[in-house]
Amino acid sequence: MILEKIHTENMYLYYSGKMALKDISIQIPEKKVTAFIGPSGCGKSTFLRSLNRMNDLIDGVKIEGKVMIDAINIYDKNIDVVNLRKKVGMVFQKSNPFAKSIYENIAYGPKINGINNKNQLDEIVETALKNAAIWDEVKDRLGDSALGLSGGQQQRLCIARTLAVNPEIVLMDEPASALDPLSTAKIEELIVQLKEKYTIVIVTHNMQQAARISDNTAFFYLGELIEYDKTKKIFTNPERKQTEDYITGRFG
Amino acid sequence: MENYRIFDSELDKLAHKVKQMCTQVNQQLIDVVIALKKGDLILANAVVKNDHAINNLDVKIDKLCQKIFALQQPVASDLRYIISALKINNDLERIGDHACNIAKRIEPLQDYQQLVEDLKIDSIGLKTTDLFGDVVELVNTHDLKFANQVMNKAELIKDECEQIGSSILSEMMHQSEVVVVAANILIIINLFERVASYSTNIAESIIFVVNGEIVKHKKHIENN
Repeated sequence: MILEKIHTENMYLYYSGKMALKDISIQIPEKKVTAFIGPSGCGKSTFLRSLNRMNDLIDGVKIEGKVMIDAINIYDKNIDVVNLRKKVGMVFQKSNPFAKSIYENIAYGPKINGINNKNQLDEIVETALKNAAIWDEVKDRLGDSALGLSGGQQQRLCIARTLAVNPEIVLMDEPASALDPLSTAKIEELIVQLKEKYTIVIVTHNMQQAARISDNTAFFYLGELIEYDKTKKIFTNPERKQTEDYITGRFG
Repeated sequence: MENYRIFDSELDKLAHKVKQMCTQVNQQLIDVVIALKKGDLILANAVVKNDHAINNLDVKIDKLCQKIFALQQPVASDLRYIISALKINNDLERIGDHACNIAKRIEPLQDYQQLVEDLKIDSIGLKTTDLFGDVVELVNTHDLKFANQVMNKAELIKDECEQIGSSILSEMMHQSEVVVVAANILIIINLFERVASYSTNIAESIIFVVNGEIVKHKKHIENN
């Protein structure tokens, strides 16, 4: 049975009074890859960021409606945002490793969460790096600076850093858009592997990427969710003309 | 507002070639049916010779589809269109082959024109060319309702071919002297039946282009 992990109901988002997301209702299943596609400015990244309250950091943002994760509204007043972001991790377009060693990049989060036992930290670091499919490439140089890694390796390190705090959901905002095809392929393979343990939501401009790795695809346009369906359906026979026009490149 | 895409010129080129293929195959069918009716060996020979032009076009369409798949990575209606173009092209090429095979069997029938008429072979030939004329129109119009009409018409021809096939077998049993010629006629009937079957396939491909529905192997609903 497919379990629902995230669901929003009649969700609206305003930037300083201007509507950026309109009436978004969506159910995102657990341990699947869900892709958000749409032209620049359509609201897909804004919606992604609202799933772990990253928009709280922007002045003038107002949200209406429900954003439920495991049946709890994450915008309720009693929600601990730090705990929420542990549960809902995020990987960004540009890899952003700390100017520290590879080891310290991964151990940073667990340390902040109070884990100081060296053996325990070693295990967390190794597991996270293995889950992010980069362990074999860095295991002999864990003390080296993370900034010396290639772009693709840095991005996988950032994914490992996100996994180290044991999230349930991983949000990815164009995680491979700055990478070469080989590194992109590694990230895509990794995403498909990660869905065994995590619920993945990915924003991508690369439609072939959405088609290759996602189970479900949501198409956004002008702040609205136009169509949401199985990826196979969206890319072979979408219901809405706007979706068809966008994915076939006919959009004016 | 729709953008013009570089891709569109490739799709236009593909559509043009598929229509060209339809026209050429249509002419081959018309010619072979005339040759069969009149026992015209010169025309039959021309049909055999013209088959290579259809084969050349078949290869060109295959290559163009391959190029579009590799370079444009089509999705949605574009994807369905190119998949269908490949399949329709294949069906057209087979129909072209069958026209050619029928043409090759006209000579042995030279002295049996009466039998050809009695068994309504020329009539089934005319019905098949009429059906294929509809197929050509369908490939141009992509009309779903018409696709169903084409499939119904093809079904009737296939049934008729089966009936004629039984009559021929009966003739063969009763008149041993006509066995050789009747065997040829049986093969020709079978080839017309195949043309009707490929026409059904093409109608099914058009339905797939229009609404993504895969109707092959499903008995279509009469009067749909």
